[in-house]
Amino acid sequence: MNEEQKKELIEKYKAEKAKGVKFWPDIIYKDLLVSFALFILLVGLAIFVGVANEPPADPSDSSYIPRPEWYFLFLFELLKYFPGQIEWIGTTVLPTIAVLALLLLPFYDRSPFRHWRKRRLGVTIMSVVVVGMVALTIMAVATTPPAAEEEVVAATLPEQILLGEELYGVHCVECHGAEGEGGEITGVEGLEGVVLDPINARDVMYTFTDETLFNIIDYGQPDLGMPPFGLGYGGELRRGDIIAVVNFMRYTWDDRAELPQEVAQASAVPALAEGEVPSYEVHIQPMIKRYCVSCHRPGKKNNNYLMRDYNEIMTTGDHAPNVVAGDLGSNTIRMLHREEIEAGGPMPPTKALKPELILIWEKWIAGGAPNTAAEAAGLTLPAEFLPVEATPTAAP
Amino acid sequence: MAERVFTWLDERLGLTAIYNTVLDRKVPKVNWWYTLGSASLFLFVIQAVTGMFLTVYYVPSPDHAYDSVQYIMNGVAFGWLIRGIHHWGASLMVLFVFIHMLRTFFFGAYKYPREVTWLTGVFLLLTTLGMGFTGYLLPWNQRAYWATTVGTEIPGTAPFIGSFIERILRGGTDLSAVTLARFFAVHIWFLPAIILLLIAVHMYLVIRLGISNIPKEGE
Repeated sequence: MNEEQKKELIEKYKAEKAKGVKFWPDIIYKDLLVSFALFILLVGLAIFVGVANEPPADPSDSSYIPRPEWYFLFLFELLKYFPGQIEWIGTTVLPTIAVLALLLLPFYDRSPFRHWRKRRLGVTIMSVVVVGMVALTIMAVATTPPAAEEEVVAATLPEQILLGEELYGVHCVECHGAEGEGGEITGVEGLEGVVLDPINARDVMYTFTDETLFNIIDYGQPDLGMPPFGLGYGGELRRGDIIAVVNFMRYTWDDRAELPQEVAQASAVPALAEGEVPSYEVHIQPMIKRYCVSCHRPGKKNNNYLMRDYNEIMTTGDHAPNVVAGDLGSNTIRMLHREEIEAGGPMPPTKALKPELILIWEKWIAGGAPNTAAEAAGLTLPAEFLPVEATPTAAP
Repeated sequence: MAERVFTWLDERLGLTAIYNTVLDRKVPKVNWWYTLGSASLFLFVIQAVTGMFLTVYYVPSPDHAYDSVQYIMNGVAFGWLIRGIHHWGASLMVLFVFIHMLRTFFFGAYKYPREVTWLTGVFLLLTTLGMGFTGYLLPWNQRAYWATTVGTEIPGTAPFIGSFIERILRGGTDLSAVTLARFFAVHIWFLPAIILLLIAVHMYLVIRLGISNIPKEGE
């Protein structure tokens, strides 16, 4: 651009300014309006969409599918076109060219024209690039597989304790017992007859920090026979899972920590009203999670009796059925009463269930072993479970 | 009384002069696309303010980063709101700075005499992306960890100096406490300082040169 053109441009700009508006208030007014709208939008997004909860970083869990922030997705997608040996073209050369092209734009585009009709080449290139970026972003979104089943993320302490309780029920109970009481291990391969100290006592709770507990669960205690449970050492638990188990232990057994009330409510087996028939989903499942499923899941010594859901409880096992609706002589009831029968020994092997819990089992089976609470509501208990003074009323 | 206070201050601070040069000036009549710059600035201010509040509780160590973010979300009064705004503000800021760049390009506003404004603008776009990249790691969750693992591998593929750059970014061969400390420092000190400086120059130039007019046919 020569001096004459510059002069002309400045003259024109002065004329435009003379015809124009005042920065204050005209321009400022528009700016404030847009900023205010943006603020409302942001607050709305924060309130109604929020920030998705993610599990904590876990370097050992390499199954996680990495996803960059959305504005880098196009670059991520672009790299797929530069596999192997030529990857560096996509990662280094193209971005460098793009940045330099943008930076140096005013220095190589020296034509004085600003209207798009006289800059068709430049405008076309930029439009293609932008459309390409949008297209790549869309492709990236479309081809990224959804997160392998939405993971349960326990964000708050009560959620963590409940998750920890469930995980403890699955992974720890078979050796350490439902209450962490320890004792002689039965039915666990390789550890048969080993006697464990309780882990719910002050000895453990007062001397082991959360970090120590975490580490023990993470890489086990090989010398004492405890296998590692952390994903990084061949176990099944992610970092978030182990933290949940530690929190469960701390808040349940450490007498210095107070169990949040909502946890106590959520994890307790709900009390039965008089004459109510218990249901699997409300009453039996919480007990199974706590006392049974640690052994009664695939890969354990359990005569093939699995107890992960209602169907398995009713139908699986070498001596199936173990639960017969209406029959108090069912294998399950006899074993809960610590009888030694063909189907197996007393259950749970190390310590009897509390009598009031066994009563719930009896009422459940005698009442017809219903699955859902809705089904249970339509059933009545046999006379022997009703209080003596209450005369069974005839059906109207 | 108020007038006397004003006169006293004006004599010393030159308020009238500032008003005359910054606010009370004529500019060409323009359209709504010209609000993108101020919108970007507004988003930067929002990010700065919410970010400062977040640093009150955030702890940049692998052992505590995740928990401190959980605490902000669940324990701190309105922490979820502050973090929500910061989270979404980051996305919006990248979007607005980018569209602001496109507007400048399509209106040919980067040409004489505004070349330096354009230069600072491109650097502002790059630093904004840098803020997005470094801020993404800070919650120290799975998404953050693995996205940054891949993100730092990308410069690592550059010929000759790639692995060197990757080591600088990570502060070692793998993502670690050092990486988190580096990203945190860059996110809350280095890049904001650079952005502030660039914004100052950018705005000085916008006021000095005036906003470009909408190009007419034949211009």
